[in-house]
Amino acid sequence: MSANGKDPQQLAYVGQRILRKDGPEKVTGRAKYTGDIHLPGTLVGRILRSPHPHARILNIDVSRAQRLKGVQAVITARDTAGIKHGFVETPRYPPDQNPLATDRVRFVGEEVAAVAATDHYIAQEALSLIQVDYEALPAVFDPEEAMQLGAPEIHPTHPKVKEPRVNIAGKTEAEWGNVEDGFNQSDYVREDRFESHLRTHGYLEPQITLASFEPAGKLNIWTSSMGPFLKRAKLARTLDLPFSAVRVQKAWVGGAFGGKVDLFSHEFCAALLSMKSGRPVKIEASREEIFAAYRHGQPLIVEVKTGVKKDGTLVAQQFRIINNCGAYRGSGVVVIFLVWGFIMVPYRLPYLKYEGYSVYTNNPVRAPQRGHGAPQLRFAVDSQLDMIAEELGLDPIEIRLKNSREPGETLPNGDSVHNCGLRECIEKAAERTRFQQKYSQNRSAAPSDGSRRRGIGIGVSSYMSGTLIYPNSSSAMVKMNDDGTVTLLTGALDIGQGAETILSQIVAEELKIPVEEIQVIAADTETTPVDIGSWISGNAYVTGNATRVASTEVRKKLLDMAAEEMEANVMDLALGDKYVYVDGSPEHKLSYRQLVAASIQKHRGDSIIGEGHWRTMRDEPFHPSLASTKGRWTENYAFDAQVAEVEVDIDTGQVRLIRAVTAHDCGFPINPLLVEGQVDGQVSMALGHALMEEVLMEEGRTLNPSWLEYRMPTIHEVTLSENIDVITEQYKKDAPYRTKEVGEGLVSAILAAIANAIYDAVGVRLYSTPFTPEKILRGLGKIKEVPKMPKMS
Amino acid sequence: MKRLIELSVNGEAYELAVEPNATLDEVLRDQIGLTGTKVSCGTGECGTCTVLIDGRPILSCLALAVDCQKQLILTIEGLSAGEKLTGMQQAFHDCGAIQCGFCTPGMVLSSTALLEVNSRPSTREIKKALEGHLCRCTGYNKIIEAVQQAAEQMPPKAK
Repeated sequence: MSANGKDPQQLAYVGQRILRKDGPEKVTGRAKYTGDIHLPGTLVGRILRSPHPHARILNIDVSRAQRLKGVQAVITARDTAGIKHGFVETPRYPPDQNPLATDRVRFVGEEVAAVAATDHYIAQEALSLIQVDYEALPAVFDPEEAMQLGAPEIHPTHPKVKEPRVNIAGKTEAEWGNVEDGFNQSDYVREDRFESHLRTHGYLEPQITLASFEPAGKLNIWTSSMGPFLKRAKLARTLDLPFSAVRVQKAWVGGAFGGKVDLFSHEFCAALLSMKSGRPVKIEASREEIFAAYRHGQPLIVEVKTGVKKDGTLVAQQFRIINNCGAYRGSGVVVIFLVWGFIMVPYRLPYLKYEGYSVYTNNPVRAPQRGHGAPQLRFAVDSQLDMIAEELGLDPIEIRLKNSREPGETLPNGDSVHNCGLRECIEKAAERTRFQQKYSQNRSAAPSDGSRRRGIGIGVSSYMSGTLIYPNSSSAMVKMNDDGTVTLLTGALDIGQGAETILSQIVAEELKIPVEEIQVIAADTETTPVDIGSWISGNAYVTGNATRVASTEVRKKLLDMAAEEMEANVMDLALGDKYVYVDGSPEHKLSYRQLVAASIQKHRGDSIIGEGHWRTMRDEPFHPSLASTKGRWTENYAFDAQVAEVEVDIDTGQVRLIRAVTAHDCGFPINPLLVEGQVDGQVSMALGHALMEEVLMEEGRTLNPSWLEYRMPTIHEVTLSENIDVITEQYKKDAPYRTKEVGEGLVSAILAAIANAIYDAVGVRLYSTPFTPEKILRGLGKIKEVPKMPKMS
Repeated sequence: MKRLIELSVNGEAYELAVEPNATLDEVLRDQIGLTGTKVSCGTGECGTCTVLIDGRPILSCLALAVDCQKQLILTIEGLSAGEKLTGMQQAFHDCGAIQCGFCTPGMVLSSTALLEVNSRPSTREIKKALEGHLCRCTGYNKIIEAVQQAAEQMPPKAK
């Protein structure tokens, strides 16, 4: 293989615990986040929000605000191009949200107007001088109420949905086999309903955008995001500017977890205010605004009917999913598609009937949140599977192994699971925790520790690794520098997961050059090639392979140049320590520096640049249909099994997660240290989901818009988190690799595992998240009356 | 009406005209230009904006700049000399205790202050010292590990 020279397959950088490239910058305070960028003359932007969950806007008078000294610009919908946007923008699901409300507001906190002023006091004062006349309209907050005929209409039901229902934002339907045949073939059938609650991402860096419009027509944007290219596309479209007029540049990002993808009104407003005022404008959301008006996760209702054989073999499942998407579609029509996928993958299922509804309500819009539907769905399926196992006298491990996908299986949509490691994940997680010895023991044992009972539970999950949504591809450039070092240009944005580090490891591996000598220029729509972005879990696979290809091209040029200079055969050459040398006689060598000089001199100025491109599902022209699920979804599924051990206090109903064991098949870990960080973080986030966090809403208003009242895990809730890598793939030179996602699939199985462990500990089966002390005490019969709770939205 | 104050930050004296209601984080970030101090909630709930005053961690979003005169203020920028990281900074880096990095300056400062008064803290004492700091990325496991490693590697204090 000529591109390879004599390089052994031995890996020096990929697969190693390489320290983060951005560590020193971040630990010294030098890393610049959006809020740290100061441009001279920057104005402070603020947003006026709707106080009503549903109202008609009769009139907006901004004249008093405009006259206030220090106010440089005021905008309302009238100042916009009137172009809507949406998380999904397809012919079936056209955009449905205006960046500023036009004639109606549909949720408390909806953006109505924005101002830019010389300081934040003046900006705040200006907001209070804007007079908006509203006519309140009836509102609806519960998705099942909102679907009923006669409910207040927020938007017309989707024209393709012919049922007599209102407020249907979208519907996904899928079926394989005739599900009734499946139930007829089953020995045991049961139906259950599970509900999940509203949670938020909890990114520490607030939503923030700095916009600077240059008179020549260039709009410069820095914004806390999950990838600059999607932001550019949506800003350009809604501002009616050519893509090339908008430049989104890199700043470090203080956490996102799904909550910073898509276009946000403050980004649009900062841009438009800068265009109107001719000065830079910065808008930073307060934490209260983020809690009360920004996008949280996706609550789901999951109704599931399951038929199995006596031995636990799954035969048929029927699902009805209801998603409360809020006042605009947001990612609602995506989550009802994804949930179908999260059903399809981990367990073999001969018959399925699936219906998912996304329903408009007068709540804030929803966003993806790490796992995007998987935690809610896996909680339902794996809780019910344990109930079935108990009915049939099977243990939880046995029933899961019986139904687990095996390597090479083809899924009902035509995808392959390739080297699926799910069976091994289940076996290893069970073995590490001695699951079968512990299961159903503690609950019946005599209380040895006062009021505390211990339990163990398991869940499984699978997650896609990149799929076809714009920009869905990645290109990368790797260039040699005169001094023999390397620069990588990538559109990828490191949001804390370590994107720049793993991409550098790949370059380092291919070119045998230390990670420290690779400079990364990233996430700038002007100077770096297009990239998928740090969402839909495609970075390590899609951007990684693009980077690998670009690096390989550079390696080939270095080897060819060396062969020419040394009059040697490429096959006899090897790379190491920034030299190309003759294998076996390392004294015959040329440095990268010499090779770059030689290439420029002898190859008409070629300074040795490589480019690479990658796209998931490379031969599929389109993404799968959100409505029918038809079409391929992904070529790369990650799998995991997670075991939770909990302690439940039967006097207080308090639950503690005392141990979480994650066995996961991420293909192979490019950086085991970063993988561990992802595992720990997801376990912690799932713990918050299960036991602590809930955004409480009443009539569309947030009751707990602060971290004092919305309780995220603190250091006191740290859990013993153990990680087992199930390696199913390899990184090889000159071949595409198939590493799988590890950043969001591991928040799901653990949630089900916690629910199952609570049941194992105290015999209380939970049908809704979070697993509060009230629910547990009620399950134990210690609370009789049903307390009045705020309505879940 | 602005007031003229003098702050000692990272060993340097700054003479500044500030509003009486200006908080320390605002003055550090916007007037002095030390943006290493991050602000996440602005209401004292998350610990992100922590700086050290006379060696003790305080929330700079709740401290008025005018009240911080005649005290030694240490921000994350003042911790290491040039490119050389302190033991605590190096331990955070080595242990993978940094992800998005937004909580990192506050975490590192509070951990540094802890080791100043307790060179061999137990896990319980580490948790107590960092209980006011939120981190959403790491689950805290590697942060605890980093503080333990820094403590183990810290040279014994000269008496």
